Amino acid sequence: MSEVIESKVLRHRIENIGSLPTVPDTLRKLSRIMEKPNVSLTEVASFVQSDPALTFRILKMVNSAVYGFPGRIASVSHAIMLLGLNVVKGLLLGVSVFELMQKAMSGLYEHSMGCAAAARIIAQKKGLREPEEAYVAGLIHDIGKVVMALEFTKAYEGALALAETEHIAIMQAEKKFFADNHAALGGVLSEKWRFPKKLTEAILYHHQPRSAVLFPLETAIVHLADILTKARGLGFSGDQIVPIVDDAAFDRLELSEEDIIDVFRELEGSIEATQEVLQQ
Amino acid sequence: MIKVTPDKLQPGMRLAKPVMNRAGMALLGEGTELTETWIARIQDMEMEGAIYVEGKLEMEVPMDEMLAALETRFQSAQGNPKMEMIKRAAEKHIRTLYE
Repeated sequence: MSEVIESKVLRHRIENIGSLPTVPDTLRKLSRIMEKPNVSLTEVASFVQSDPALTFRILKMVNSAVYGFPGRIASVSHAIMLLGLNVVKGLLLGVSVFELMQKAMSGLYEHSMGCAAAARIIAQKKGLREPEEAYVAGLIHDIGKVVMALEFTKAYEGALALAETEHIAIMQAEKKFFADNHAALGGVLSEKWRFPKKLTEAILYHHQPRSAVLFPLETAIVHLADILTKARGLGFSGDQIVPIVDDAAFDRLELSEEDIIDVFRELEGSIEATQEVLQQ
Repeated sequence: MIKVTPDKLQPGMRLAKPVMNRAGMALLGEGTELTETWIARIQDMEMEGAIYVEGKLEMEVPMDEMLAALETRFQSAQGNPKMEMIKRAAEKHIRTLYE
């Protein structure tokens, strides 16, 4: 087996996502805007508006049945006012990594959209003030996989094959090829893009929610949303098997079997709405 | 609830969600039974997206296959009560998709 790719190499690649040739132009530009400290609403809005395809997609997404206000948001700045800058940043990222995700791993986008929807449903059930933040965390929780699969294609294919033949979680299989796993790298990206700590922690610890010290509830939500999406068999995340849920995280959410069935039921409607957004 | 594009609407279908115009105004309420006139109006509107009508979605994968795949996905989770609960919930949910 080839050597394990060092942490230093991985993190260097992540740090330079704004200039990687494999990354589409839109995402590179977006990445450069997002990493600026105190980026303003106007800056983000004018960046988006300079790209008609991106504007179209983001408006289509916020106006879809996925959100509570279909057909009412006419401009990007209006979307930011309603949803908040962090959520719009996340959605922009979500719509701009779409092709990249399809290219990196077939089914990863469906998995991410499913996890996002499930995270929002659980967040609403738990009465969180900003369920959209949970949605964004779900949407980009596997962003680390995108960079790994694109930049280290051979090694990632090796990890996927290993997960399949050994019936182990992709997280375990990654260890044989990479010094850092996708969650750790996703956390680095989230920090680089100046997402709130709440999001970073949820991404970083979505496989080990007990490590979350600041936002254990949000992290538990993404952890369970990821598992439920896999349980329902939506999309493909590299896992052939459903990873075991963390006891403490599961207990924290206090969901009954009926509640979980409810989440699945609501998720179904959301999947349809999502497919509608993706059909251009 | 089934999602259909405006060209697939048939008289007698009942709306599962209101039909909105671009400004977000509800034109036809939930539960409206569609007539040929309504359908023609909807088709004239050049709406984006689809219309939701009552009914069940036709599943592409047969239920047996779906449940077998569920078994496989949970094979390493046997004996874990929490995972068994999640699996039971998923199974019950999947069955309702075929009712």
